[in-house]
Amino acid sequence: MSCVDTVMELRSVSYQYLGRFPALDGVSFTVGRGERVALLGANGCGKSTVLKVLDGLVFPDRGSYDAFAVPVTEDALEDDQFVTAFRSRVGFVFQNSDAQVFSPTVREEVAFGPLQMGLDSPDVERRVDDVLAMLEIAHLADRAPHQLSGGQKKRVAVASVLVMNPEVLLFDEPTAALDPRAQQWLVALIAELHASGKTIIIATHDLDRLEAIADRCIVFSEDHELVADGPTRAILDDVALLQRVNLVHDHAHVHAQEPAHRHLHGRGHHQLAG
Amino acid sequence: MITTATPEWLLQPEVALCPCGCIGRRRKANFVDKTLQNAGGLLLRTMFAEDAATRDGLLQRCDARAKLAGGAVLLLAAALVHDVRVLVVLYLLTLAVAVASKLGAKFFVQRVWLFVPLFTGIVVLPATLNVITPGRIVVPLGTWFGYHLGVTSQGASSAAVIVVRVATSISLVVLLTLTTRFADLLTGLRALRVPRLFVLVFSMAYRYVFVLLATVDDMYTARKARAVLDTRNTKRGRQFVAASAGALFGRAHALSDEVHHAMLARGFRGEARSLRVARVSANDVVVVLVAVVVSIVALGGDRVLR
Amino acid sequence: MHIPDGYLSPATCATFGGAMVPVWATAGRKVKRVVRSRYVPLVAIGAAYSFLVMMFNVPIPDGTTAHAVGAVLIACLLGPWAAVVAVSVALFIQALFFGDGGVLAYGANAFNMAFVMPFVGYGVYRLASRRLSLTSPRRALAAGMGAYVGLNAAALCAAIEFGVQPDLFRSANGTPLYAPFHLSQTVPTMLFAHLTVAGAVEAVLTFGVIAYLQRANVPILRINHRGVAETDAELTRAPLGWRWALIGIATMVVLTPLGLLAPGRAFGEDRARDLNAGKYGLRVVPAGLARYNGFWEHTVLRSYGFGAGSHPAVAYLLSAVVGIVAVSALVLGVYGLSRTLSRRNARELA
Repeated sequence: MSCVDTVMELRSVSYQYLGRFPALDGVSFTVGRGERVALLGANGCGKSTVLKVLDGLVFPDRGSYDAFAVPVTEDALEDDQFVTAFRSRVGFVFQNSDAQVFSPTVREEVAFGPLQMGLDSPDVERRVDDVLAMLEIAHLADRAPHQLSGGQKKRVAVASVLVMNPEVLLFDEPTAALDPRAQQWLVALIAELHASGKTIIIATHDLDRLEAIADRCIVFSEDHELVADGPTRAILDDVALLQRVNLVHDHAHVHAQEPAHRHLHGRGHHQLAG
Repeated sequence: MITTATPEWLLQPEVALCPCGCIGRRRKANFVDKTLQNAGGLLLRTMFAEDAATRDGLLQRCDARAKLAGGAVLLLAAALVHDVRVLVVLYLLTLAVAVASKLGAKFFVQRVWLFVPLFTGIVVLPATLNVITPGRIVVPLGTWFGYHLGVTSQGASSAAVIVVRVATSISLVVLLTLTTRFADLLTGLRALRVPRLFVLVFSMAYRYVFVLLATVDDMYTARKARAVLDTRNTKRGRQFVAASAGALFGRAHALSDEVHHAMLARGFRGEARSLRVARVSANDVVVVLVAVVVSIVALGGDRVLR
Repeated sequence: MHIPDGYLSPATCATFGGAMVPVWATAGRKVKRVVRSRYVPLVAIGAAYSFLVMMFNVPIPDGTTAHAVGAVLIACLLGPWAAVVAVSVALFIQALFFGDGGVLAYGANAFNMAFVMPFVGYGVYRLASRRLSLTSPRRALAAGMGAYVGLNAAALCAAIEFGVQPDLFRSANGTPLYAPFHLSQTVPTMLFAHLTVAGAVEAVLTFGVIAYLQRANVPILRINHRGVAETDAELTRAPLGWRWALIGIATMVVLTPLGLLAPGRAFGEDRARDLNAGKYGLRVVPAGLARYNGFWEHTVLRSYGFGAGSHPAVAYLLSAVVGIVAVSALVLGVYGLSRTLSRRNARELA
């Protein structure tokens, strides 16, 4: 029996994309209930792959992954009962809202998950209305996705996940390609969700907002290995580490004397994540 | 002040940009240009503009299921009617319904006659001649190489029947798509027992035409921004089309992977489910009945007049 | 090639719609088995892609435009059954939103472009690309060739579909009720346009896309070519004679429809006489010419015999059914042959 407070555990997980290109190499870590964790690394370091492993979308070539103390394997997810339970307990907000929002209207998009879970139509309708009101997008309910702005699409994507009331929320580059106001809204929402007891795991390379969204950071190198795991503040202070994993320029300067006036030259903001 | 380091040529105005167009040879837009401008504008307007569907008109108030069923009945009737007068009446009827649905007569007529009927007209024109349709010559067109050419009555009436029938059929389809929001159309299809998987695939195809079109537009803009000259119909132009079609497929496939993951993550297992559809109301029954009555009258009229 | 409503009689539309139902059912089952739940996004986005490919219009000299269908391209990339579903959905969007192709005629259009075209084209592609590596330039050529043949097979079907209308459906005074053109006019006209311009457009596009993917994105080609060696070096060479024979067969397939020019009166009369096949060294033409000549004359005489309206529907349905069976047999034959050959090939290699 593993500890009740551990919700997810990866043990020496390795994964190769298309069976050829390495994406993860011997990665191990655990995530406890109610934690707020950032997966940090440059583009292509494998942090998106970690999220996909955690969501049971791809399966490790070597090593193992347990969620809620149950091994998550391709076979296990063939089981109706397990897959329903797992999918409703773990939610995934993808980076590309266009891929995530695939239904003809906002209402149907948000209803998709609960309907797949086998909920009745009236139940689903009620939940959808609640979550649309909560995210202040009730007026968009009958819009088609192509009539939405980027920020609105992100709200719909988040709504489509929250409607299933998951315990664990996975975010892939949540603030990428959002305008500052939408970014601020999302950061506040993540804090709120965390306060209500959700476990949150975020893949990001946005160093500016790191302290606002995560208490703990797991850092990946460009060789797809886990190189550091610690409190956010400690990781941000370790400039040598951040340089080594190519998250900041060589000439990055940290004003050590004035911690309130910290700015790192993050590489990631200027690029679209891949 | 201009710094001395700036190369001379950078300070020269671009010849091709001469405002009178006297130096740079003006080029006609090639087919890639046209296709993409058309594809971009026309496609977005015809497929994704839903303003007509949200107006408060006659057909907008009807349920999509009733419109689909009624439209299908009328399409069949139009295909079975052989008298041009009956077809003209049917066509005028679609026009009247379009006006009652606040589509604007001019817009509606343009929309219907823009696409296929013009093309159909050109195709059908030779069929009026005795070369194609033998019969009684009503408009002799002289003798060519010892052959008496002319428009036959059979040819003319058959061409008229086809043109009006095509126009009526397209009017019916355009009426349906213009007055129905896409999401309602899907609900209607589902209610008419079209397999759910097909409806799901259809809805996602519609959704991703929009997304992929943006990709095409980006690729094309990137290309146009770089290539000042030579977007003409040359080997390089063809290579560009093939390469962008290839790159587009790569993007499309990656996107389908992402969408698949997004669907899986929310519990999709190959089985499509959807929100329950509201019950059929009395209004909807009336719509279908009207369509059936019109069809019966049209077919009856066709019999009598024949 | 999109037949609008009004060109075909409702009976024709019903026949082809009926013929497509089992095809769609089979396609759904086959594709689902291969890619399981990935089926929906893959085919949906395949359809969106196919739709956009159809937007590339090329003007042809007679004032109309031709566009690539992309059915053979999708068949090469995702397999012929996935192409059936993807192209069908794309045609559905066109019929609904653009009036391009009728709603009643949807079954007939789907039969031509979403069934005959991908299967004939894919069959030719498989035959011509046997024992070629995945990145061989000749594989791209084979795809282009398949596209060319597939498009012309589809055009031929469309021409036959509306070419039989005036003989089968005309009023008492001889006025055609649906499409007015006779087979002897539709077949040469359609094939002329498609053998020259549209076929070339389709072939160039398909060739270009495959060649581009061979350079830029080989994993994409892997989706539908699992066991194929990637480079020529990994390949055991096939004897040359086989390939020449196959190219010969493919050429014959392309040229066979020329035989249909023969019974023409208005367009074809002079040409049939002019068509001195020996002059071009085309030995295959006379055989096809003779056979089809007889075949079509036979049909024409039959329907003229029925002209007064005794049993036109029965005669029509009979010929429609015979036509569908013949074309389907041809389609599945080509596909089956290519499957068998490649399977045997795989066994030999293993």
